[in-house]
Amino acid sequence: MLNKLLFKNQDRKQLVIAMIGAFMGITFLITSIHYLIKVNEFGQGADILGPNTIIVQKKVSNSSSLNLTKTDFSKNEIKSMIDEPFIKDVRPVISNNFDVSFQTDDPMVPYFRTDVFIQTVDENFLDVKTTKWHWSKGDQFVPIIMPREFLVMLNTFMSASGIPQVSDDLAMGIKFKFKLWNSEKQIEERVDAKIIGFTNEVSSLLVPESFMKYGNDMYSDGSDQKITQIMISGEESQFGLVEDLLTKRGLESKNSQMMIGRLKSVVGTLILVVLGVSIIAVFVSGLVLIQYMQLLMSRNLYEVRTLMRMGYHPSELIKTFFIYFVKIFGYVAGIGVLIFFGFKFFLDNMFDEGGLYIDKGLTWQSIVVLALSYGLFAFASFRSAKKEIFKQY
Amino acid sequence: MKIILDHIMPVPLASIQHGSESIWGNYIELEQGKHILLNASSGKGKSTFTMTTIGLRRDYDGVLTYDGKDIKSFAPDDWTTIRQEKISVVYQDLQLFPNLTVAENLILKNKLKNVYSEIELKQMLELLEIDNKWGQRCGLLSMGQQQRLAIVRSLCQPFQWLIMDEPYSHLDEVNAKKCMGLIDKRCAEQNAGFVLTTLGDSHGYQYDQELKL
Repeated sequence: MLNKLLFKNQDRKQLVIAMIGAFMGITFLITSIHYLIKVNEFGQGADILGPNTIIVQKKVSNSSSLNLTKTDFSKNEIKSMIDEPFIKDVRPVISNNFDVSFQTDDPMVPYFRTDVFIQTVDENFLDVKTTKWHWSKGDQFVPIIMPREFLVMLNTFMSASGIPQVSDDLAMGIKFKFKLWNSEKQIEERVDAKIIGFTNEVSSLLVPESFMKYGNDMYSDGSDQKITQIMISGEESQFGLVEDLLTKRGLESKNSQMMIGRLKSVVGTLILVVLGVSIIAVFVSGLVLIQYMQLLMSRNLYEVRTLMRMGYHPSELIKTFFIYFVKIFGYVAGIGVLIFFGFKFFLDNMFDEGGLYIDKGLTWQSIVVLALSYGLFAFASFRSAKKEIFKQY
Repeated sequence: MKIILDHIMPVPLASIQHGSESIWGNYIELEQGKHILLNASSGKGKSTFTMTTIGLRRDYDGVLTYDGKDIKSFAPDDWTTIRQEKISVVYQDLQLFPNLTVAENLILKNKLKNVYSEIELKQMLELLEIDNKWGQRCGLLSMGQQQRLAIVRSLCQPFQWLIMDEPYSHLDEVNAKKCMGLIDKRCAEQNAGFVLTTLGDSHGYQYDQELKL
């Protein structure tokens, strides 16, 4: 009966307009947050390298071929790059300064041996558990991250030998060996190795830093170690600035890494714009709803005042207005979520068709944002109802 | 509940000269169970008295107490209890809800304390000859019918005082007597008192105390 008294004779046109604004804002808000996160996650886990990370080297020119310009990085160059605000971290890629070969050592696969180039990168750049990525003298095997093209080459060799090709999982079960040697010192050593992951972004075998240090200490030919490649980790959605820096400094990277970074940057920026607009829309529509509530209360001043004079507690009237508007926002949020699922179905297909295979799961962050918006609106409604009703007390 | 007006002087009436027997500026006690009449011509402050006594106006000097407690110290919880259980009011402007039916107007009040059943409510309306208006919108009733409805509504709660501000201004003598009979009965049941303000006519009622303005 209280609802009939307080809400029956209202102008529903204004309420409907406020509700439409609010549900559009909510829909765009959760959709943009969902896709912002999904696009940022794109590429994560696909490679052993961490997200937004690229390996760069200096462009090789005719002059550098003639040793007129340097292709290695100095400490100052690395430091000046770290100081850039859009760069999270820069670390050198350390290469072997000793002779090393890599061979199969498994009765299940044919013998295969090749001289290799091994490198190590800071473990913070790798998307791999640190407990797995560790080696110390006496360990059973050296964990390695293998370039996928190396596995393709191995499979080509196996196919040519009439042996079935191996998958990623099977390859991780094959036993390998490193042979480290120094011809001048006439020393050599064999160490077991095992693949723990693959990468498309690095063309050399990656080993833990401790193994590289051991090899360089024990088997180095004594020449200076040069840093010819570095790893750069950029901030989210600021890949354009990283690219500018690379161009300015004459650096280059694998095209695929650049493409993913650029794509994520562009899509991320677009979604950020939509997110900004959505936040404004939700805020404005929330304000419109609150204003509508105040308007409704001002039209019901007589009713509110009379009910309190009859013995109704102000809290009961606050509760009545609060529940009414929380329900309205509940309907708005419910419709917003339904429309979001419709958008999601449409957009997921669109991204798939465009070759951007993003994860189809829901993001908890968009649910949290929805709950937060709901909570904020509920709080604002309660405060507003309390203020207006006590004004009549 | 004893109501004391200790030298109450409403600010708008402060500049007016009041008689020595006037309630304004004097010490007045309203004892529970008493039937009190406040008879004055228009514009003398009857509604000011009503609104001040029930705590809706606070623009006065002096101290107004219920059972020794200054009403200016009461919190919303206290006022809710007082309005539900201790003081009932028939306002001069009736304060009904014109968009609700007669039944809804009564039930909205009655459900706070569940004093009467629906049958009993209808019986009271029947006594005042408006039972046929039960389902009708209150705004469609005549002023006299609305006054009767407001009186019935004021009885739908327990009370120690019934404050009535010109409740019979639109009623004929017969209906006014019927209403007074109903009020007397309800007051007697609860050992409650009432204050009746009238416009120059005591309607022939018996009263224990008369207040002057």
